[in-house]
Amino acid sequence: MTGFLAIVRVTLRQLLGGKRLIVLGLLGAIPAVVVWLATANRVSSDVLETYNESAIPTLFLIVVPITSIVLGSASLGDERRDGTLSFLVVRPIPRSAIAAAKLAAAALAAVIVSVLSGALASAAVSIRTSDWSTLVPTLVGLAIAAGCYAAVFLVLGHLTSRAVLIGLVYLFLWETGISFAAPSLANISLFRIGLTAYVGMLPESQAVLSEPLGSLTPGAGGAALKLLILGALAIATAAALLRTRDIT
Amino acid sequence: MTTSPAFVSDPTITVDRMSKWFGQKVAVSDLSCSFGTGLTGLLGPNGAGKTTLLRVIAGLLRPSDGSVTLLGANPRRKPAVYASVALVPEEDAVYGFLTARQFVRYAAQLSGTSTDLVDKAILDVELADAADRPISGFSKGMRQRAKVAAALVSEPTVLILDEPLNGTDPVQRAKLITTFRHLAEKRTVIVSSHVLAEVERMADRVLAIVDGKLAAAGDISAIRQAMSDIPYRVRVETDDARRIAGSLMTVDHVSSVAVDGDTLHIETDDLSALGRSVPELARSADARVTAFEPEDESLESVFRYLVRRR
Repeated sequence: MTGFLAIVRVTLRQLLGGKRLIVLGLLGAIPAVVVWLATANRVSSDVLETYNESAIPTLFLIVVPITSIVLGSASLGDERRDGTLSFLVVRPIPRSAIAAAKLAAAALAAVIVSVLSGALASAAVSIRTSDWSTLVPTLVGLAIAAGCYAAVFLVLGHLTSRAVLIGLVYLFLWETGISFAAPSLANISLFRIGLTAYVGMLPESQAVLSEPLGSLTPGAGGAALKLLILGALAIATAAALLRTRDIT
Repeated sequence: MTTSPAFVSDPTITVDRMSKWFGQKVAVSDLSCSFGTGLTGLLGPNGAGKTTLLRVIAGLLRPSDGSVTLLGANPRRKPAVYASVALVPEEDAVYGFLTARQFVRYAAQLSGTSTDLVDKAILDVELADAADRPISGFSKGMRQRAKVAAALVSEPTVLILDEPLNGTDPVQRAKLITTFRHLAEKRTVIVSSHVLAEVERMADRVLAIVDGKLAAAGDISAIRQAMSDIPYRVRVETDDARRIAGSLMTVDHVSSVAVDGDTLHIETDDLSALGRSVPELARSADARVTAFEPEDESLESVFRYLVRRR
């Protein structure tokens, strides 16, 4: 357990150190700024509508994916690029534990940035409306989406140095394009897993955003289950890669 | 098997007909050897396959053919053996944002050993003054010592060091060599280097590798003896190459002479005798010698000769 926690601690410093945190922090502030400016002098019901139409898409389609793709890819990818992977694997720790620790760190880092961004945006509308009902659904939805992206891109980051590029292509072609045009493909969309949790947890009076969900059913339980399955698959795959691939 | 100098009687590491290739490039070819308690120097020019061999032994690379056992197991299948193994890789495998002390403590935590040994490991490599500074600001030599400290902290029974003296100054080098020799009294220590003098100072047993093959094995005096049989190649530049070449053909210690314009390529088994003969012959031929240079004194050429001879 000491080794596991040590890997998580060092990876968090590695992921959130220096310029990366500043850039992701600035990105994370965008939804709050946008929604704050867009809701000036509006009535409460309009403010919530604007939040769902501008802040939520920005959070789920830009902030969370970009943050999680960058941090997920870097978790093992940076170690491979910097040659420190050899320092890490020549240890009496099962490769699955190394993979789990790297995923835990990547997901935690992505969740911290995403949740802070979501909390700011949600607070911006809640201050105007005095209604804090969007806060918890926003944070849960974002955390689940961040975890899903981190899991997938942990593996891709170990496989290729172009994981971020692949992630951006996936994001802009698939997530914001093809999957919107064909609602039946919504199942193969990572941001929608988090969005189902968000919509499922909203009070009924605010239940909106049915269109982007496509064929998916809103609900936090199902989303959490998908996150767990993706996480387990990511750990098993990354561990197998660490066992079988050459570490050069 | 143990009668060959490439093998030891009580091995902790066994390499059995191991080959490793990357695409079309063969890095190690059908290599067999073993390592036991004591310090073994792995000697060879850059690109000889030393790093590949060490990385296969450490379980970082899978052999393309043959097998390697480390403490009786395949470490890729049984990571528990790493509790007794430490690797100091050649590349800068350090976390620049950590201080040296944090880095060594991290190594101890990963190896499951007590962090009480952190200070001792740092003292052993004489890094105490810089221990609380980020590694990113370290010189190459300091980084090397931080990596060695991170390896020592787990008190391994097998210590694999890939070019650990690179970038260190002579005083640090002497200190590290003493540390390695001390460790090797009870442990298996493998140190790779492309510098013969370095290996000579620390290793009693040497494996020489070139082009991925075992070129020579044994104690350092056996390697030295093998090297003393090598003919020297010398390049001489003169304004009357043909005349001097003719005279050189009659000299006993000259085995061949080739003329290339104003340049002579001479092969001899006695370099100092040739050094005396050439000026005498030039004087008698009334010729001027403008250059007299050994052509292949590099370690690489020495090892290539050893491989050809095997």
